[in-house]
Amino acid sequence: MPYEKPLPKRNPDNQPFWEGCKNHELRFQECSACGHVRWPPSLLCPRCHSPEARRLTAKGTGRIYTFAVYHTAYHPGFAAELPYTVAVVVLDEGPRLLTNIIGCPPGEVTCDMPVEIVWADIDENITLPKFKPA
Amino acid sequence: MQRMLIDFSGDDAVFGHFGATGGYALAARRAMHEFGTGPETWKKIAVGQRKWAGLNPAAMLRDKPLSEADYDAARWVVEPLRLPDNCLITDGGRAIIVTSVERARDLRQPPAVIMGLGMHNPSTSITQSDWMAGPTGARPAGEAAFAMAGITRDAVDACEIYDCFTYTVEITLQDYGFFKPGEGRDWLQGGTIEPGGRLPVNTSGGQLAEAYFMGLTPIAEGTMQIMGRCGQRQLGAATKTKSPEIILCSDNGGILQSHACILLRRL
Repeated sequence: MPYEKPLPKRNPDNQPFWEGCKNHELRFQECSACGHVRWPPSLLCPRCHSPEARRLTAKGTGRIYTFAVYHTAYHPGFAAELPYTVAVVVLDEGPRLLTNIIGCPPGEVTCDMPVEIVWADIDENITLPKFKPA
Repeated sequence: MQRMLIDFSGDDAVFGHFGATGGYALAARRAMHEFGTGPETWKKIAVGQRKWAGLNPAAMLRDKPLSEADYDAARWVVEPLRLPDNCLITDGGRAIIVTSVERARDLRQPPAVIMGLGMHNPSTSITQSDWMAGPTGARPAGEAAFAMAGITRDAVDACEIYDCFTYTVEITLQDYGFFKPGEGRDWLQGGTIEPGGRLPVNTSGGQLAEAYFMGLTPIAEGTMQIMGRCGQRQLGAATKTKSPEIILCSDNGGILQSHACILLRRL
């Protein structure tokens, strides 16, 4: 069955992130000057403005900051999955990722719930980072 | 429309996150977690504003009263937000004319005078925000507006609050200091914001029940109330409320990313 949901829009800034996902790694920029782990990707550190960064691979664990349960399909690709859970997950290394919580009924999801990464392979080029209760 | 929603949502759309209701649902959920708000609070706002809409011939939902039971039975759009927590979609327009007080004195219509303004724009994308449950930009914007006007909250006779969602009304009033975090539900008891209430809020029905004209719905209503042009819903004896000397209006943009507060008074 063809994949009918929107796909990530790749650009030079986010290319390392999506390449990492393909390899089942959560790759972020870590500022060489102040240590801030950046997300979304950027040319300069939003905290100290340094352009220098090294790669950091996150462990893939964190907690749910907040979540929303969709009962409306704003795109037909999601109609079959209603209700589904969108969440902001704060990774242990700091970045906040917008993602989905899977493997858990929406009614059992809570704020501050510990979660871990689940890799959703879409095709040979795209893998999405999703999360499940840890 | 769908194309626009996807473009607007960027890579959030990859995870099925679209538009404003989803963004405010994230914020509202965090607020439930941090200070114990929820549908019991938002219901009072939706029901109260609908009562005002019933007095407004221009309100899209004038003839559709909303009871608490109706609210409870309404469908989820993006949980924790139900349909009556969402604003309307409206084609139309509003305008206000701004001129000097000196010039306004000679006009046929009585003016509303701007006595204080404040803006604060946290900007941060809601997915990167760690302050979804406040304080939002409403706190510093409100402080700036009150300082400029030289008054305190107690002098405010009514509020016209930007109400894209019921939660926006709660967090805005809370950040202005009308009640402490989580105390909104008690504060709203007994029809506080309704016709006859001690602090009327969104007296046209607001964007939830009158019409969605972005920041112009609240500020146009505040201006018209000060001018005394609101007919059946006019603040004062007709609605068993205080005759308005000072009205607070707010505006808000993005997902709690920008905020403006404006205080209007009678000349």
